[in-house]
Amino acid sequence: MIAEALVRQRWWIALAVLGIAVLAAVPFVLMPFHVRVGQLILLSTALGLAWTLLGGFAGYWSFGHTAFIGLGAFAAGLFETTVLGAAFMRANPLTGLGIGLLFAMAVCAVAAALVAWPILRLRGIYFAVAMLGIAQVLSELTNSIDAFRGSLGLVFPRIAAFGLRQEAVFYYLLLIATAAILAIAFLVKNARIGQGLAAMREDEDTARMLGVPTERYKISVFVLSATLTGALGVIYAHSLGYITTGSVYRTDFSLNMIVYNLLGGIGTLIGPMIGAVIMVLLTQVVLGSFLNLHMFLTGAMLVALVVAAPRGIVGTWQAWRRRRHGA
Amino acid sequence: MLAVQTILDGLVLGGLYALAAVGFSLIFGVLGVVNLSHGAIVMMGAYLTWFIWHTTGLDPLLAIPPVMLVLFGFGYIYQRGLIQLAVDRSSLMASMLVTFGVALMLRNLLVLVFSPDFKSITPGYAFSFLRIGGVTIDLVRMSALGASLALLGALAWVLNRTRIGRVIRATAQQELAARLCGVNARHVYAVTFGVSAAFAGASGAILGIVLPFSPPDEANWTLNAFVVVVLGGVGSPSGALLGGLLLGLISTGTSQLIGPAFPNAMMFLILVLMLLVRPAGLLGNAFAASR
Amino acid sequence: MPRIARRTLMQLAGGTALALPALHTARAQARKLVFGGSIPLSGGAAETGLNVNNGYATAVKFLNEQGGVDIAGTKYQLELKLFDDASDPSRATTLIQRLLDDRVDFFLGSFGSNIVLPTAAITERAERPMVQAGGGSDQIFTQGNRYVFGIFPRATRQFQSTVAFFKTLNPQPKTFSVIATNDAFSKTFAAGIVKDCQAAGYQMIENYLLPEQISDASSVLSSIRAKTPDMLLCAMHDQNSLLVARQMIATGTNVGLLFQGLGPQLASYREALGKHATGIFYSTYWDPRTTWKDPFFESAGKFAEYYGKNFTRPIAYHVAAGAACIITYVKAMQAARSIDPVKVRDALAATDLETLYGRIRFTADGDGDAVAMGPSVGQVLKGAGEVVYPAGGKTAELLWPVPAWDKKG
Repeated sequence: MIAEALVRQRWWIALAVLGIAVLAAVPFVLMPFHVRVGQLILLSTALGLAWTLLGGFAGYWSFGHTAFIGLGAFAAGLFETTVLGAAFMRANPLTGLGIGLLFAMAVCAVAAALVAWPILRLRGIYFAVAMLGIAQVLSELTNSIDAFRGSLGLVFPRIAAFGLRQEAVFYYLLLIATAAILAIAFLVKNARIGQGLAAMREDEDTARMLGVPTERYKISVFVLSATLTGALGVIYAHSLGYITTGSVYRTDFSLNMIVYNLLGGIGTLIGPMIGAVIMVLLTQVVLGSFLNLHMFLTGAMLVALVVAAPRGIVGTWQAWRRRRHGA
Repeated sequence: MLAVQTILDGLVLGGLYALAAVGFSLIFGVLGVVNLSHGAIVMMGAYLTWFIWHTTGLDPLLAIPPVMLVLFGFGYIYQRGLIQLAVDRSSLMASMLVTFGVALMLRNLLVLVFSPDFKSITPGYAFSFLRIGGVTIDLVRMSALGASLALLGALAWVLNRTRIGRVIRATAQQELAARLCGVNARHVYAVTFGVSAAFAGASGAILGIVLPFSPPDEANWTLNAFVVVVLGGVGSPSGALLGGLLLGLISTGTSQLIGPAFPNAMMFLILVLMLLVRPAGLLGNAFAASR
Repeated sequence: MPRIARRTLMQLAGGTALALPALHTARAQARKLVFGGSIPLSGGAAETGLNVNNGYATAVKFLNEQGGVDIAGTKYQLELKLFDDASDPSRATTLIQRLLDDRVDFFLGSFGSNIVLPTAAITERAERPMVQAGGGSDQIFTQGNRYVFGIFPRATRQFQSTVAFFKTLNPQPKTFSVIATNDAFSKTFAAGIVKDCQAAGYQMIENYLLPEQISDASSVLSSIRAKTPDMLLCAMHDQNSLLVARQMIATGTNVGLLFQGLGPQLASYREALGKHATGIFYSTYWDPRTTWKDPFFESAGKFAEYYGKNFTRPIAYHVAAGAACIITYVKAMQAARSIDPVKVRDALAATDLETLYGRIRFTADGDGDAVAMGPSVGQVLKGAGEVVYPAGGKTAELLWPVPAWDKKG
């Protein structure tokens, strides 16, 4: 199944590899501001893809994925500060980040596994709200319990490596992460599980009756999505250098992940990528100049988006193509 | 004595929560829409009331009827013109995003029009209290509780005893059947939203008397409404009342027993637990399947 | 051929003749001095953000109207390149980087430690100075930054002068309780309060921690009514302070001394409480009636007047703090006789001058010197904020003891 997909999509894959190669050259060619925007685009793309494993593929729209961004960020930060220690981090920042990353991913995986069975009982809006609730619980606990240092904040060490500037280091980390998540998403979509998820998305009860192991698939993809999101949270936190609860537990993170998918086309791989690029360019670059109207304009854009392009760019393009070539 | 005080404070706080959530509950129950701009509408009510009080000196409680009227109109147009469009073209989930976008727009507008500074409505009676035995009763909050009960009662009466209320309930349960009976569903949905917005506005007015407020608060009131509705049940005013009072008690109880920093965490924990155990809430009639 | 050549020559000559005055004017036109930065103009910190922004704008406008500033013989017009970071650290860091790429050399700070810290890290690495009036929590100044300067002392040192004030009270309070909200600044400020009060011999009864956004403080107030501390010291932001004060009045919770770090400075707070606000103490970093002399505005009063002519928003001390950042920069550049960032940084570190905001002096870590730049104590009297300590800057006589809520006239 996967081999088949690899052959069928070979041009897309070639394009992706080429794209990654081009992106890898960016820090040497463009200015640091562009590298930072590039960081944001990569982070947003990766988050969109991680979300869609659960949302687009399985049809479970989580409105609280920021829970894992925050959980990953604080798990790594606390581990690095208390277990590894400041001296170790100063001497081996990249290794420290790696170890912290592994720890944080483990924490996210365990947390997701614990919560997966009960929470995946819910469907639709109820699931969405439950995830929102979980994000809030984690956010509040991080802030109120002193040991988590959410209110005072956590400091992350500066990371310079291989003679690269800081923003280049994180750019490459994010590039690697995005490529990895894209590959994982491709594999999931084209493996047996991907087909099972697609069936579930249409009608879960019928799929289960037909023998699709819906429970196992749901839980696996939920844990996978959570772990990957947590990993991105770790990288993001390190790139900021200092986080408080409010830096990583943000409702707008959760909502943005959904918006990227809606804009690009939900259920596809290229959808969240297109959506992320457009949204980041619009909000950071274009609207960056509007001193006090940008929240209004972001909201207006969101509204226009949902009303005008409900199937997203990919969906609208597919519909147009179908119309042109006959049904 | 401390227990009595805690319970009383909880009930009084709960009245506020109940009132602020009742509109949200109605929309969720009847239209199936999660209105993320609910808190922003509550804030609009607060700011409108402040504006009336500040410019004309009219007592804020008396300003409630005009505020409700204005926000009814706003809600009607909002639903008929925008949310209906989003639901038709996309899905119910997408309506959540549309309302989020509108919340951002409203918030920015409030900042532009009223400045980001917090505002406070303090009529003469804003500081009165009663002390009975060892228990202190904050009269303003107590009157907020009273107003909540009155407004919720009025809403329940509208829903259960009037024709439009019956129409709303019928459309919510079985849209197709209602339409076959000649009901203009779109109009009914818009009216429901209008009513919800009106009540949200009224709650904003009362909140404005009790608390200082500023545009960013809208997010908190939306979240509070979520918890109240999940606790108490969707679609019914009595559910909103029960949910609100429970939430208030949980809040003050947690503050006293676990620590003042934890009420919010406990509130969301209860939200998640309720969703897992009984998503329809304690009193709710879920019109859509939850699992 | 010759005809064409002559015409061309005439054109060339004419063109040059026209261009020469333009060249001359360009040299005589003032050069530009750009200050870059981000400000939260939306989001939770917008209220103070707007005040700081107005402070920057006031100073720049005034100096430009004076013909610009003279640094080592060259005249410069000041320019502000600020943008709204919406209280979002990733937005702030990205756009600060853009300014760095655009060759902006001097930075002003945002408001709120979770934005100031990441952005300061970037400007520090680029070796560009940042003078900020918006981040007080200790972490900003304990990272070993050399290019970051704050107009306020670090949060844990902001209470020293207030404790000195407590010592002068007669009758003397003996016990205190602290309420703080769960955010970086309030917690560090509260830690400073506890440390300084205990060091001065006062006994702490309880330290309450509330969530970052409060809608109800009733359980804390019940506890306070039961334990009766002599002093209640609040470390929280303005809106929360007002909520706590209102609930105290509405539940008849009386304490001998109520201190709220942020809140009573604002006219909207005092209006909301009406006569009940009388006697509440607060920190004030600046008052338009102080007698400080300024190298550009002449005095604090003249600054307030100029501000009033240009903005309708009531003045608050963050406005003066913002203006002070610009003034400190300009004076440092004049002292260094250069606009080279490294030289300006050294001049900033050596700053010791009197401005409309007060005496400006930095510690080795870059925060405001706790003695020179610590707050005065204010008290609300007759609906206005008055400075009651130290004696040198007093604008009114202290009211002590403070009557109970229901006895305030």
